[in-house]
Amino acid sequence: MMKLIRLEWKKNNVLKYIRNAVITTAVIAILIVMMAGELVRSADEIDAEYLYGKGILGTTVELFVHMVYIVFTGIMLASFIVSAYAKKTMHLMFSYPINRKKILLSQMAAVWIFNFLAMIVSKLSIYMILVLTSSFTEISTVDISFGELSFWLDILLGSAVMVSISYIALPIGVQLKSSKATIIASVIIVCLTQGNVGSVRLVNNIPFIVILFVISVLSVYLSVYNVETKDLS
Amino acid sequence: MPVKNVKSEYIVQTNQLTKIVDGKEIVKEVSIHVKKGEIYGFLGPNGAGKTTVMKMLTNLWKPTFGTVELFGETLTPTSYDVLKRMGSIIEFPCFYEHMSGRENLQLHCEYMGYYVPDSVDHALKMLGLLEAGDQQVKRYSLGMKQRLGIARAILCRPELLVLDEPTNGLDPAGMKQLRDLFKMLCAEYGITIIISSHILSEVESIADTVGVIDHGRMMKEISMQEISERNTAYIELAVEDTKKASYVLADKLELKNFKVVDGRTIRIYDDGADTGVLSKTLALNDIAIQFIGRKSESLEDYFLKVTGEGNGL
Repeated sequence: MMKLIRLEWKKNNVLKYIRNAVITTAVIAILIVMMAGELVRSADEIDAEYLYGKGILGTTVELFVHMVYIVFTGIMLASFIVSAYAKKTMHLMFSYPINRKKILLSQMAAVWIFNFLAMIVSKLSIYMILVLTSSFTEISTVDISFGELSFWLDILLGSAVMVSISYIALPIGVQLKSSKATIIASVIIVCLTQGNVGSVRLVNNIPFIVILFVISVLSVYLSVYNVETKDLS
Repeated sequence: MPVKNVKSEYIVQTNQLTKIVDGKEIVKEVSIHVKKGEIYGFLGPNGAGKTTVMKMLTNLWKPTFGTVELFGETLTPTSYDVLKRMGSIIEFPCFYEHMSGRENLQLHCEYMGYYVPDSVDHALKMLGLLEAGDQQVKRYSLGMKQRLGIARAILCRPELLVLDEPTNGLDPAGMKQLRDLFKMLCAEYGITIIISSHILSEVESIADTVGVIDHGRMMKEISMQEISERNTAYIELAVEDTKKASYVLADKLELKNFKVVDGRTIRIYDDGADTGVLSKTLALNDIAIQFIGRKSESLEDYFLKVTGEGNGL
């Protein structure tokens, strides 16, 4: 399986995605530093508790990183799997003496592992930049606590769940044989998961996230369950 | 679990293969028999069902009814091992266009689990692509992509090659090069080759056996040797008045086996017919002869006869 994943990265030029992830992370970091700096400068005009309240910085980082990587996952799913169907390179893949489910799962795993790791690295990099620059920007980083287990659990679990939920876009793209449809579906997932209903952030609504996670598992199942017997058009 | 059958003399065999798509029968009860080490020409007009059969042979499509036997095993949805023994091009070869030709072939070796040093260079050289090997495939012409597809199909020394219209996009010199290559692969490496085509001349000079498919049905499967043995030489006659000429042929010359092909052509299949006697007799009966000559039936004639005068060609 690892060999198949490695080949997927190789043929889809994973270096290009690494470069894009680095650029995106840098842009998010700059954006957040600027936003937070602006808030600090106007601190006397707003509620200090709101500004320095627990989790405000973390929430902003999570929001931006999740938004970016849900779409990023959609783009990669479109490139690794959907366009392989559309450009018929999947015909070639299915002519190899390899279990077809394994082929598809390796493609999905290649995207999942990349985005999961990229999301973690991205979050950690941004947190570190915020902490390292806090003495200059005067941004409070009290809620960034690298030493706490809950901090790491939040990052790991949040990243795993968000990347997984992105897979809801996959069967839509495969069914329509359209990379655009996959990416549009990803944007809709961003709106669903990162939006607010009133003052409630949907991402903090556990039952809602569990439902989306179950749908994503079903999406993966739907994408592979009949691949052995289905005609490849 | 592959189903083992009693050892057959055929490396590829289909039994009553039928494919129904959206209620329409695309292929109906097609039975193919391909012997080990032969070149099998799979002929048919465009839309006859050749690609559908090829897709079922390579397990990309599943038969609605009937079975495919490869290497003595009945193909099932999970028959992966036989794929290791096959090389194929179905419809048109697809590549990872941003990669070079060489990288595409190396990737193919990785997936096939085939690690023989210099095999990639050897395949590129065979198809005249050694110099272009390091170029990105997106810069290749259609003919180069077709040749790269064949290089990939033969790269892992398969026992069976399934090639769907492999000479699409090639110029006459390229087509000749491929025909020579197929003959060489068959003769030197004992590779069995199935080539589908609607261009008869492409297959005529290399095939050992041909199968003719039309409107999804197998019309005839016959060896080229049998065609040449059956090959009824005939005299073709072009006259202005075929009715009058027919009367003379039947009444004066007592010929029974002839056929009016069109408004001015008659074919005479009688063994005893002689062009000299025919010319003289027709002239004596005031029938102007525009052309008279002895001809033999080509694969094309045979094909046209089998598919009903070549409708769809």
